[in-house]
Amino acid sequence: MAATILHACGWIEQTPLGVFVRESQYAFLVLVAIHIAGLALSAGTVVWFDLRLLGVSMRGVPAPAVYRQLMPWFFAGFLVMFVSGGTLLSGFATAAYGNAYFRVKVSALLLAGVNALVYHLVTARRVARMDGAATLPWPARAAGLLSIAAWTIVILAGRMISYTLYSH
Amino acid sequence: MTSFFARIEASGIATTISQSVPLNGVLSGLHLVGLTLLVGSVLVSSLRLFGVVLPHEPVAEVTRAARRGIVLGLAISVASGLLLLSPRISRASANYIFQLKMLLLCAAAAFHFAIYRNAARGTGRTWLPPWVAGTLGLMLWSAVVLAGAAFILIE
Repeated sequence: MAATILHACGWIEQTPLGVFVRESQYAFLVLVAIHIAGLALSAGTVVWFDLRLLGVSMRGVPAPAVYRQLMPWFFAGFLVMFVSGGTLLSGFATAAYGNAYFRVKVSALLLAGVNALVYHLVTARRVARMDGAATLPWPARAAGLLSIAAWTIVILAGRMISYTLYSH
Repeated sequence: MTSFFARIEASGIATTISQSVPLNGVLSGLHLVGLTLLVGSVLVSSLRLFGVVLPHEPVAEVTRAARRGIVLGLAISVASGLLLLSPRISRASANYIFQLKMLLLCAAAAFHFAIYRNAARGTGRTWLPPWVAGTLGLMLWSAVVLAGAAFILIE
């Protein structure tokens, strides 16, 4: 399994995109700047929905309304982050595969994704029935707290990748 | 000023930071956490002032916590940024992009405390229409972020 993944990483690095990211003087830095901007937009927006779930902000606004209004901004940022991050990865896939901080970042992203999925499949229905209550049930508050923790780990581990992985 | 910067660079904390890659990584991560909180808070608050998000909810209800988020995000970013810069503050302060970033940061912070904060309270006690304050606030903070990104590229 590991050998197959490493082989795939090596192949990705040899694609024209991977070579360009690795060898261009400016592509890497521009991509990092775009990646950080996308991350700030996505995580910076989703945290306000998480804080609403926790009952810390916008307590007078129903949580589903906060979600509907903020999520387009989150998804726009996430798309920018995902595309720029994937492009960056194409240049350094093998090194990333062996980097502990990269694995922590991907794990935290998956945790954030699973947490969001569980919230929407299970908890959101219960929240919708509460008709704009200021304090939400504990599964909703737990989902908000878990999301904030996961995104904080994504950011911290992501910065550590820059200090331990790239040769630039 | 040069001797002041030299003293900062020779301090124990600056020496410790310059010799520790993990510490640089953690400080850089905290800088980005602060920036993320700041960006998200400014965006949510300004979009409400434009009437783009939650237009039927009271301004104060949407922006109350976001105003605190702006101040907290700014405090985390400035504190971690100063620590990150301490080992190389002479070189950084001579960089014109860094000077521009600091100028924009001061302008954005001054605008926030002098005008934006009142507009975001939704009390109507402001001489700028809320949407103008929102636009200017968003533009100033975006310019700070862009200058920060440019500083990364040039440095």
